[in-house]
Amino acid sequence: MSTEPNSVADAEYDVTFIERGPERARFLIRGITPAFANGIRRAMVADVPTMAIDTVRVVENSSVMFDEQIGLRLGLVPLSTPPGEFEVGESVTLSLDVSGPDTAYSGDLVSAEDLVQPTVDGVPIIDLKEDQRLEVEAEAVLGRGESHAKHQGGIAVGYRHLQRVEEVGDLDAYDAEESHVLRGVIEEDGELIATEEFDHDLRERYPGKELAVEDVPDAFVFHVETDGSMTVEELVSEAIGSLEARAAELREAVQL
Amino acid sequence: MELRVTERQDNELSIEIAGENHTFMNVLKESLLETEDVTAATYDMNPEQSGGQTEPILTIKTEEGVDTLDALEDAAGAITEKTTNLRNAFETAAAA
Repeated sequence: MSTEPNSVADAEYDVTFIERGPERARFLIRGITPAFANGIRRAMVADVPTMAIDTVRVVENSSVMFDEQIGLRLGLVPLSTPPGEFEVGESVTLSLDVSGPDTAYSGDLVSAEDLVQPTVDGVPIIDLKEDQRLEVEAEAVLGRGESHAKHQGGIAVGYRHLQRVEEVGDLDAYDAEESHVLRGVIEEDGELIATEEFDHDLRERYPGKELAVEDVPDAFVFHVETDGSMTVEELVSEAIGSLEARAAELREAVQL
Repeated sequence: MELRVTERQDNELSIEIAGENHTFMNVLKESLLETEDVTAATYDMNPEQSGGQTEPILTIKTEEGVDTLDALEDAAGAITEKTTNLRNAFETAAAA
């Protein structure tokens, strides 16, 4: 990478984390256009593939629910999917065998592959009474969110404009009582403040002040939550990679 | 990604890009509009109102003497540059 401070590669984007966890994060990207931001959001939701149960062989189901209902529930169990380990369409076998009286949980699924495991163990599949039993063998497939929501890695992905707040004067007595609700992240003299800090009400932070609020151009605050199949960082990286791969593919196709 | 040229004149091109949707097409359109000598760029996701044609069609117009396919190639290259830069910026922030 270039070491010149003004080189395009360094100056174009600026990323700052506001909140950061493995499965939930908020970060600001400066210098990104709306179309590119939306491309990444859409890629996170619909294009980054994750594992999900797709076919179920029912060995025994003496529960009160139909096989199909159980199948749907199993499909929606989030499974860990380390990026780059599997190809789309590749499958992994999981099995479940629970006898009542007991509740079958996602954590009872036994995977044949260490890399692919339920990300949460506490999802109830079905409550089994005396003499009821559920035994299934399931095939998890790597697929994309565009084909079924169970393959979505990003479950709550969105972005908002960064808002710049400036004090422009004092309010007169009657206006002062009106609350001014704003959600997201504000910028105050270059400092980033999440609106949670003042209960999403600008009046709490700037009592009696008249404010000018504006969207900061090309600055978007992303909120990304994953179902645990991969970390936020992996998901964002994969989404960028998905756009990148298609651009490369197009370039190659045009050159021919 | 399969490309099929549906219309081609000196400075105008309509091309079908099979298998793509708004995710990539909108990014591509924007990249084209930022490309030098491109005078117009747009895409239609559902050109025949689902009456058969369902693949997006991209239309590009360029300045006199500029090849539309070259412009498309440049725009695709520009996306790669953006994604590389964004990944670097994101990974730098994530590593901090």
